[in-house]
Amino acid sequence: MGRVLLVFRLVLGDLRRHPGPAVLLVLSTLVATAVLSLGMSLPGATERLYLQTRAATAGPDVVAIAPGLSRAADTALTSLENVPGVAARSRTYRTFFTTITTDRGAVRAAVFGADAKPGPIDRPLVTSGVWVRPGGAVVERGFADALRLRVGDHVTIGGRSFPIVGVAVTAARPVYPWATMGGPDGGPSDRSGLVWLHERDTRALAEADVPAASLVYLRLRDPAATAAFRAVYHEAHDPAIRVNSFTWPVIAFQDSVYLRDGQPILIVGGWLLSFLAVAGLSTLAAGRVAGQTHRAGLLRVVGATPGLIAVVLLTEYLALALLADAAGLAVTRLVAPLVVNPSGSLLTTDAGPSGPVAAMTTVAAVGVAILTAVAPAVRALRTDAVATLSPAARRPDHLVLLSRLAGLLPVPLLLGLRLVARRPGRALLHAAGTATTALGLTVLLMVEAQPDQGWDFGGVTVADLMDDRSRLLLLGVIAAMVALAVVNTLTMTWTTAKESRATMAVARTLGATPGQVAAGLATAQLLPALPGALAGIPLGLFAQWLFGHQNAPQSATPSLWLVPPALLLVTAVLAAVPARVSARRSVAETLRAETA
Amino acid sequence: MNVLQVRDLAKRHGQKHSLVRAVDGVDLDVPAGQMLAVMGPSGCGKSTLLHLMGGLERPTGGRIWLAGERIDTAGERALARLRRRSVGFVFQSFHLVEELTVAENVELPVLLAGGSPRAAKRRARHLLDQVGLADRARRLPWKLSGGERQRVAVARALANEPLVVLADEPTGNLDTAATDEVLRLFADLRAMGQTLVMVTHDARVAATADRLVSMRDGVFVEDTWLAGHTGQFDGLFAMGD
Repeated sequence: MGRVLLVFRLVLGDLRRHPGPAVLLVLSTLVATAVLSLGMSLPGATERLYLQTRAATAGPDVVAIAPGLSRAADTALTSLENVPGVAARSRTYRTFFTTITTDRGAVRAAVFGADAKPGPIDRPLVTSGVWVRPGGAVVERGFADALRLRVGDHVTIGGRSFPIVGVAVTAARPVYPWATMGGPDGGPSDRSGLVWLHERDTRALAEADVPAASLVYLRLRDPAATAAFRAVYHEAHDPAIRVNSFTWPVIAFQDSVYLRDGQPILIVGGWLLSFLAVAGLSTLAAGRVAGQTHRAGLLRVVGATPGLIAVVLLTEYLALALLADAAGLAVTRLVAPLVVNPSGSLLTTDAGPSGPVAAMTTVAAVGVAILTAVAPAVRALRTDAVATLSPAARRPDHLVLLSRLAGLLPVPLLLGLRLVARRPGRALLHAAGTATTALGLTVLLMVEAQPDQGWDFGGVTVADLMDDRSRLLLLGVIAAMVALAVVNTLTMTWTTAKESRATMAVARTLGATPGQVAAGLATAQLLPALPGALAGIPLGLFAQWLFGHQNAPQSATPSLWLVPPALLLVTAVLAAVPARVSARRSVAETLRAETA
Repeated sequence: MNVLQVRDLAKRHGQKHSLVRAVDGVDLDVPAGQMLAVMGPSGCGKSTLLHLMGGLERPTGGRIWLAGERIDTAGERALARLRRRSVGFVFQSFHLVEELTVAENVELPVLLAGGSPRAAKRRARHLLDQVGLADRARRLPWKLSGGERQRVAVARALANEPLVVLADEPTGNLDTAATDEVLRLFADLRAMGQTLVMVTHDARVAATADRLVSMRDGVFVEDTWLAGHTGQFDGLFAMGD
């Protein structure tokens, strides 16, 4: 009990005393786990949502559509119940391919003649309002979202105004904008949403000779045997009457097309974000090694065993990593429905990270915690207890040429260059991190330079949802990149300032001003950021060429040239904060602390 | 009975031309209840000797017994147990755990030794009362003066009633008034029969001990019993000041 209390106290005490590094550590791990879990949640995510919606709405196994409203079409469709493997069929429904008019103009729609009481196959789930009744329309949720329609609004169909009485989802059709399915001529068509009217209300459309199709829903004895059904059906059906059949896997696949463009963004973005997160974490961990080793020494002096010291260090990192992991998974839970749900027309209660995904990110977070805790623990335990009491940090590297070159430069550059020479690996990491951010910004600017691919729906331009989705994902990934780059710059400057505290204090005793010291620390961040920012532009252009749309502009936009100076300016501003704080520290106090 | 016994103890760093003999064949017996001062110039090896006797550093030669038990060959786990149970350290730089309160610092060794939280709290309250810091129990160490911090360090060193307290320049970072406070505390310990080995380069502080060992270049050059010492420091400081 006493040991548990002790570990708890030490962990809590350290977190209270050093909240900054703890917050940075949590942020870096959070972003990494969120991106990782989101990336791992994508494969099959839309299909899972479709299955969920299909289960909730008694979705059909097959939708068979024949053009027109003829008796022959009806006969061909009803005869499908005789195809081997078919367990049940619905009555024949009618769909009309027309335009609906809203306050914002006219758009294409598939108007479905529905029963006031849905049959056993396809029972659309009303998510808002009520189901169709004579004189009232129900709109597919994704379609309603795109047109900003709500219950109570009015739409005009076939010259008659209908109040919207409900918003619903169904698994019997691909989501907006592919609701047309077979189209008026039997071929594939898209760019329309689904509206349900009471069957009685669609009679006017039939009388007005609006292009239409007949359809039935089929239930198979074995819902998984859709391929077998298609094979038998193709051999048995009358070639004189064209009947298109859409099995549920085909509808599920059509829904997932939305994610096709977004996947490379998330996957490549995930790699880049993970790199930034690891760069930040490793810098943070390196910066904490000296302090944690000293802390381990203090505990050793009062009799803590190596095991207990390892437990204290590990518990702290583990608590932070698990907290960040939980927060990252929560972020994914919130973001995933937005990413994987095409146009809001599927249910999203099961859109979060699955158990195995959560387990994998947790294992990764625990791994990071162990790796971060191992270095100070091993270092502390392999060193004499007395040596670990010294607050001296890891011995710096020394690049002779760089140090000599620094001697020829003004004081801030001299200090900055010598700080870079002390930790060349960190400078390289910072350069790579800045290059990654510049790459992301370049891609974003190139994408933004493309013309908007709005779809003209006959008067109203509804934005290309796929393109919008891709841009939104890209913006989200770049925003996360910039956030991590900010965290990393703060972390790197803070770590450099902390490790070079004694050196800078000595420089102050030799006549350097606080301003020169602060400028030196900021310069140490700017020097590696410069080549990183410049290298990021061609890398971004290459990435855009590799993964971007075919219609992307082939030449770089002029705004790209603003990326390096903007990045350097932001780096300078961010680095200035910890640099100024560090430079204002009392020289005597610093030297006393270092020699204690 | 000797609490500490050291034979032919050596600690060497480097090799050949760069060989440094920090401690070079030292023999020492410290009887129970004795207050021993080790004195000498900077770099003479006195702190290294103290660290070796407390198991903080490993000797390159010789033997050390603590209460009859060999500690120079003990493993890290056994040394940790030794530091918890038998040795209390007081350092020049205090080395308190900065994120813990004064009381929590004093409770630390009791909890490490497996004591219950209640027992640890009771012991800390008693010791802080003894060193005159009961009203500072909830403060963080950095909010205390140097003398107060050193008194917390002494209380922490006594938490598990150690066989010996090893103090490394305990007044090195303190002003005269704070030095006075700490030496009064040591006098109380001595009166209670606590064995104490203190390393110092301050002759006035060394003069408060029962016995003074002088060290130079890693070897003892003088071993003096300070006869007639009363353990009262007021007069001594009056003379010194």
